[in-house]
Amino acid sequence: MSSLSQLIRNENMKIYRRPRTWLMVLFLVGAVALMSGIMKYDESRTDSGDWKASLTQQNQQMSSDVQNSSMDEDRRNSLENRIKLNDYYLSQNINPDELTIGDYVKSSASLILLVTLLTVVVAADMIAGEFTWGTIKLLLVGPASRTKIMLGKYLSTLAFALFLLVVCFLAALAAGGILAGFDGLSAPDISINASGIIHESSMLIASIEKYGYNVIMLLMYVTMAFMISAAFRSSSMAIAFSLLFMLVGNTLSAILSGYSWVKYLLFPNIDLTQYMDGNTPLRPEMTMSFSILMLAIYYVAFQLIAWLLFTRRDVAA
Amino acid sequence: MTEAVLELRSVTKRIGTCRIVDNLTFDVPAGEVFGFLGPNGAGKTTTIRMIVGLISMTKGEVRIKGVSVRDQFELAMTHVGAIVENPEMYKFLTGYQNLVHFARRHHGVTKQRIDEVVKLLGLQNRIHEKVKRYSLGMRQRLGVAQAILHRPSLLILDEPTNGLDPAGIRELRDYLRNLAREEGISVLVSSHLLSEIELMCDRVAIIQSGKLVDIRSMEEARTQTQSKILLEAGDIDAARQLLSQLFDPSQVAAAGSYLEIAADKSVIPNIARVLIAADIEVLGIHAVQKSLEEQFLEITGGEMVV
Repeated sequence: MSSLSQLIRNENMKIYRRPRTWLMVLFLVGAVALMSGIMKYDESRTDSGDWKASLTQQNQQMSSDVQNSSMDEDRRNSLENRIKLNDYYLSQNINPDELTIGDYVKSSASLILLVTLLTVVVAADMIAGEFTWGTIKLLLVGPASRTKIMLGKYLSTLAFALFLLVVCFLAALAAGGILAGFDGLSAPDISINASGIIHESSMLIASIEKYGYNVIMLLMYVTMAFMISAAFRSSSMAIAFSLLFMLVGNTLSAILSGYSWVKYLLFPNIDLTQYMDGNTPLRPEMTMSFSILMLAIYYVAFQLIAWLLFTRRDVAA
Repeated sequence: MTEAVLELRSVTKRIGTCRIVDNLTFDVPAGEVFGFLGPNGAGKTTTIRMIVGLISMTKGEVRIKGVSVRDQFELAMTHVGAIVENPEMYKFLTGYQNLVHFARRHHGVTKQRIDEVVKLLGLQNRIHEKVKRYSLGMRQRLGVAQAILHRPSLLILDEPTNGLDPAGIRELRDYLRNLAREEGISVLVSSHLLSEIELMCDRVAIIQSGKLVDIRSMEEARTQTQSKILLEAGDIDAARQLLSQLFDPSQVAAAGSYLEIAADKSVIPNIARVLIAADIEVLGIHAVQKSLEEQFLEITGGEMVV
């Protein structure tokens, strides 16, 4: 009987022996390089000589705004926080406009969308691809239950996602190091929370935290794509539908945001950063724990449907 | 009889109201090459897919070395090597990587064993090339290699010669016979080509419309071939009357300008003597062996697709 670890090795072989996979990695590294380059270019363009003077001037402008106009509470708060943050920069002699390696790594978190996209393509191909190649028959006629084969496929898909995340992170680290110097690694990450208290935390931890929220989205989309892969017998259909759902989801939920039932859909819940400071969720009654519950329900449903589709159907093609 | 490696017990597949496979029961003992013959659409492939668990059974039981495929799929499959229709391989992998892929599923398939099988099938020169560059014959051989890596007790081949050239068919046939004889592997091979089955198999099951029509041993079929005698004579009616006295009247039938007598050739001298004595002109007498093909056509009611 096959052991799960051997099945995962098989699936890994089928992922990493394909030229397509390495094109994806190249594409991702290219995207990180491009983004870092643009950030560097923007920085050099906006360089205005004396940053201390300009910060001081900004603060004066904002202070008068806060006192004079009759703005609402939220806006006043955020302005006051920005003044506090600027004061802190001035007192610590840190130029906030000067990019550090940490800024590059944190920005690369936005490329997790690309990592998700690439992993969704691989996930959608995982089961449907075997049907397209005709190899499903030889794959299933062996001493491994379908459940075990599917688990092996799912785990190696997740491992692939992790691999791309690490590539993305390391590429951003390298790009940041080259463009801003590696000494910035020890610089703290400065942030201010809603109640106006300034935090200094490790740059590395802040970056990983930023990655973390996006990884939940990644996990949900990849699991959905995996389910779609089990439903279709053609990999191009599976890839097309997975990408379609992923790309259309947000637009769809924005259009439907007037209806209260929209909160039970997957897409409005998938981005947990909507509950972070300064953001508002799609529906006012939505909370973080509600979204986590919804995501958990969807996750279990995806897995269950994928399992039923893969283990119960006859392979007659 | 030795212990059966493969046992089917009233295996049935129903889709809607249509019984695609109906109540199949047969055994394949160790070391036998068992043919599965039937016209296209008779349910051969469906049966084979039920044996290897690709398709669920509506009813019945399949046991491989006594292990139920339904209840202990993984254990049962350790004894099976299979090629279900054309062996599709991972084209972006090399032949060797494909074999490693299938070897990993079994315990105890060593590198040496892979090399041994590669050599056995004569693939060693191109085994490290990508499969997309293989010819169909080579893919077929790689498929066989994949199926025998783990030394199965039962080899299942579904239409293995589809798309092979005559040399490839012959090679595969010799190879299968060898496996059965020397390693005691049972082979279940399906085909719609009688000639193939005839050369490869010890016993044949004939199925039609999902039903088992007959199981016969090829040995028997060959020795018990019925022969008939064709007679051409000047006065066919007189000859017929005369011969109806000599034989059972049901044995004698007119076939165009010929008389057909169901008997073997030992009676030819007798027939000749009688006819000449009655002064009937004999234009020709010859014995005709009823071919296996005719026998099978008879069994399947003439619907054999050859």
